[in-house]
Amino acid sequence: MSPETELEEKEIKLTDFKLIKGIWPFIKPFFWMLCVSVSLVFLLTFLELLSPILIKKAIDGFILPVSDTKQVMFFGFLINSFKLFGIVFLGIITLAFIIDFIQAMFMEYTGQKIILNLRERLFEHMVYLPVSFYDQNTSGRLVSRVAGDVENMNEMFTNILVFIFKDIVFMISILSIMFYINFKLALYLFILVPLIFLSIFFFSKISRNVFRTLRQKISEINHSFSESITGIAILQTTSSTDIFLKRFKKLNFEHFKAGLLQIRIFAIFMPFVGFLGTLSVGIIIYVGGNEVGDGKITIGILVAFLTYMKMFFRPVRELSEKFNLLQNALASGERIISILNTETFKTSNSKNQTQLYDIKKVEFQNISFAYNKGEEVLKDISFAVTKGRSLGIVGQTGSGKTSIINLLSGFYQQDSGRILINNNNYDKYSIENIRDKTALVMQDPILFSGSIRENITPSYLKDDVVLKKALKDANCDFLFNSHPGLDTMIFEQGKPLSSGEKQLVCIARAFAFNPDLIIFDEATSYLDSESEQKVHKAMKKLMKGRLSIIIAHRLSTVRNCDNLIFIKNGTIRESGSHEELVKLKGEYYHLLKKESRLVTD
Amino acid sequence: MKLLLPYFKKNFGQITLGIVCMLIVDGVQLTIPAMVKQAVDMLASDPHNSLALLKLSLIIILLGILMTALRYWWRILLMGSARNVEKGIRKQLFAHILTLDQDYYDKIKTGDIMAHATSDINHIRMAFGFGLIALTDALLLGSATIGIMLYLNVKLTLYALIPMPMLIIITRFLGKKMHSFHGTAQESFSSLTEIVRESFFGIRIIKVFNFDGIIIRKVQQFSKDYFNKNLKRAYLAAIIKPFMFFVFNLSTGIILFYGGYLVMEKALTPGELVAFIQYLSILAWPMIAFGWVTNLVQRGLASLKRVNALLDARPDVCNSLNAVQLNMNQGMTQDGNQDKHRDKHQSMIEFNNVDFSYNRQDYVLKKITLEIKNGTSAGITGPPGSGKTSFLGLIIRLYNCTKGHIYIDMNDMNDIDLASLRDNIAYAPQESFLFSGTIRENIIMGKTVSQNRLDKILKACMLEKTISAMPKGVDTIVGERGVTLSGGQKQRIALARTLIQKKPIIILDDPVSQMDTDTASEVIKNINILKNDATLIIVSHRIAALTPCDKIYILNNGKIEDAGTHENLIKQSLFYKNAYTVQLFEDKNVS
Repeated sequence: MSPETELEEKEIKLTDFKLIKGIWPFIKPFFWMLCVSVSLVFLLTFLELLSPILIKKAIDGFILPVSDTKQVMFFGFLINSFKLFGIVFLGIITLAFIIDFIQAMFMEYTGQKIILNLRERLFEHMVYLPVSFYDQNTSGRLVSRVAGDVENMNEMFTNILVFIFKDIVFMISILSIMFYINFKLALYLFILVPLIFLSIFFFSKISRNVFRTLRQKISEINHSFSESITGIAILQTTSSTDIFLKRFKKLNFEHFKAGLLQIRIFAIFMPFVGFLGTLSVGIIIYVGGNEVGDGKITIGILVAFLTYMKMFFRPVRELSEKFNLLQNALASGERIISILNTETFKTSNSKNQTQLYDIKKVEFQNISFAYNKGEEVLKDISFAVTKGRSLGIVGQTGSGKTSIINLLSGFYQQDSGRILINNNNYDKYSIENIRDKTALVMQDPILFSGSIRENITPSYLKDDVVLKKALKDANCDFLFNSHPGLDTMIFEQGKPLSSGEKQLVCIARAFAFNPDLIIFDEATSYLDSESEQKVHKAMKKLMKGRLSIIIAHRLSTVRNCDNLIFIKNGTIRESGSHEELVKLKGEYYHLLKKESRLVTD
Repeated sequence: MKLLLPYFKKNFGQITLGIVCMLIVDGVQLTIPAMVKQAVDMLASDPHNSLALLKLSLIIILLGILMTALRYWWRILLMGSARNVEKGIRKQLFAHILTLDQDYYDKIKTGDIMAHATSDINHIRMAFGFGLIALTDALLLGSATIGIMLYLNVKLTLYALIPMPMLIIITRFLGKKMHSFHGTAQESFSSLTEIVRESFFGIRIIKVFNFDGIIIRKVQQFSKDYFNKNLKRAYLAAIIKPFMFFVFNLSTGIILFYGGYLVMEKALTPGELVAFIQYLSILAWPMIAFGWVTNLVQRGLASLKRVNALLDARPDVCNSLNAVQLNMNQGMTQDGNQDKHRDKHQSMIEFNNVDFSYNRQDYVLKKITLEIKNGTSAGITGPPGSGKTSFLGLIIRLYNCTKGHIYIDMNDMNDIDLASLRDNIAYAPQESFLFSGTIRENIIMGKTVSQNRLDKILKACMLEKTISAMPKGVDTIVGERGVTLSGGQKQRIALARTLIQKKPIIILDDPVSQMDTDTASEVIKNINILKNDATLIIVSHRIAALTPCDKIYILNNGKIEDAGTHENLIKQSLFYKNAYTVQLFEDKNVS
């Protein structure tokens, strides 16, 4: 497999049963609304069918009266003037209009409501998916599920479901009427019925495949846009836009090709259904005509049959048109349901979980971990931190430092060994509970669009005085003197803040969170020494009575930690305080010497 | 419309052929009732002519086959050209966004562009695929029917058409509203796309800070907003059909009662009345289609407007009319050494009183004047927000400077051809970004690079060992969906990407921030070797990275606070001295 195909998202397939089972819970709360919608459609159809009867009555009763008295019976009411009949007619079409209107509005409301609910549930579910899921699926691709795919299902809950139901009932009634009128002739036509359903079944199957490809390609297109925009500066400055454009053209062409295939499938299917209609007319003319010749049926019956045949094929045609939409919606449905079927991580609150009030101790016991089977990034890691103490993790890039954080934050689960909190197994507490007491500052400063204030304290710290104090304690207040303050609006990718400023906001966020456990993963890499010193002074103050774990490349950052572990290739090589490690004259000492020499050189 | 016109022109033959196919189908369709009528009439007069009957039914079936074939073709031709339009516009959009400048990206959101590329383009395709087909069909069938009705009885037809102006007024009114409702709904959809994208991007922070509740509420709020706006649009679309039916029924009523009156007055035969009612029922489909199409087309137009607005965005950073090519590469020999005649003391980069502001309000760079000579190296340091990254952004012209002049190789920046400027500058942004693809793809970025050069650069960036430890080596997939890399590894790959091409100017924004000291010092050493005769500008907080520079500038609050060599600055600058002491700190402890 070439790396390109490996990179693309797989097409998603589900059995219809699984699909329906997956979608049903989202329909269920609104099922009564769909039922109301269907009932209104039936009422409307009834009123629509009244119109030919009314015309007939008008002709027979008034225009070309069959009897001497100009009058008609209509639902037990005697209408004896043409004017009055006119008013009744006007009344009925107005009523039809009102019901049509209400039905249309109600159906749209129902559909949109289901979609809203589905989108909210889907997003909620996705937020609780494990981080590994996000590491395997790019954000651009995932966005197309919540945005495009959900949107694509909209038609299903408005036009499709309601009308498929109506059309099927309509077809069955016409078939019954035809059998009632003439069994033999109807039987001839009935041969066509399995053909119709067989072709619908067959085409729906192959068209779903195409819609799957289309949805998958759209998601790739989304990803292309998302990635190119994020990396635009690199593309432009390395003059690589042409290559990306070429790559996109290829993808776009694949989408186009799938689109053409979809058109071709329906260009065969739809006219084929139309042909069956014409074929049936031919059959009735010949077979029915011969019957007429034999005197078995009247011309009237033949004409009636032709009329009903026409009525029968109208919903068939509509049904196939709806099937087009349905297959498209179902292809999106598969993509949505498959995410909903992805198990969320550790949400299963086991019964014996207890409330965690504060973190007093964190311990790793013989932890081993691999992102991909067979490639261990952590081997037999053990350490412990207690309240009021700090642990520094040092080591070269790629030695496994961040992986320790990934386990501690519950982003991933270790393959063997135990993580203990307050001497209890990690899963004794709910992950949310542990995270409530934990603050993490990561290598890449991630901010959300909104004000700086919102980024630091989303909801629980509305009080400005408290917030300002928290920032002051964090030595981060100086930053906000040069900007419009806490209400500076941050846009995508943290603009207009510089990387260093973004990092400071992230640090402020961690401090304002008032955690028991602070994790700094290379949190000051974008800061100059002076700002970094300030942050460290603040940390020293804040570390009192808390646990802190600090990862750093610059040894100056961690040298004040109570305990240090030196990691290489996923194993702990040395551990102890700065002084102890210096005395040991091992790898840490070596690194330290190198670093100092570099500065003084 | 000007966006679509070229596609219409390009696909003109295809579209015309498709419409012709459709017209023939319509025509054939109208002959079938005539066949049936003939059969019924024949049965009434001569019920035993089985052979003639067979002939008639075979003709009907043959016509059916003809229609099937023609229907196939108009679908392929017309809908295919709609897909062509979709493909074309999407490609145009992608090509366009690649040319936009940073300033534009600071204002627009990724999610917004994604919504343009999928949802809006889809609306355009629907409008000009199904929409145009249905419209053509409805107009043709409708006017033909009205023509026949007029032929039968002018007065009755005119009476029957009385409610029609109502229809036109309603569709125009609703159409306008629909246009604006669709616009707002699409905007809301864009915002929704963006908030979802951002949430997925920052999922770790959301999880670890338990922001889940907040973000879910926020997305709910955006979904609700879209729901409300979309519902308005949907309501409007839903109203049209009932209106159409109502108007149609009114016309039926008029024909029935006025026509009925005429029959009673013997001014009209009963047969004519029945025929009129029949023809009116044929008119039902064009009317419904017309309403439906109004909706589709309005949606398409509103989306087209949005896409057009995006395509019309012109970057501020663009070539001037008589842009000159930078010819620095000509002075380079095969192995990257510059010709000796190129003066070492010639100015390479010059800033003359440069001011810069992102929003024309707060200036991030003020009165910057400096000169970096050819082949020298300049270091830049300073507190966060002092303007370091913005300074580099001006050299590679991600932004235009607000005031003052910048000269590269003695050419005014504004006169230099953008592509040639970037061909001459290697640039590494501060935050490393890897595209999803292999390490090799990320480094060579589609250019041809010899394995030798690649190996050399990998070695220089201290990537050799890291990469050889990976199961697939340089062909390991990285990026959003690739293997988990540490920040330092990512940074080194991004650095390799910058250094792989030999270029006369190298700009590095904080290139070793994520690396451990040991690796960083090796990398810095290698950069200075690789640099050769190129001009190097490096932003860093690490003294080790700054020490080798010929001149170091200290930026503070958008101004050059101090400048000089490492030795000078230790004496002159408090900021520099401070940083130096802090980073020196360990030394005293070790010895």
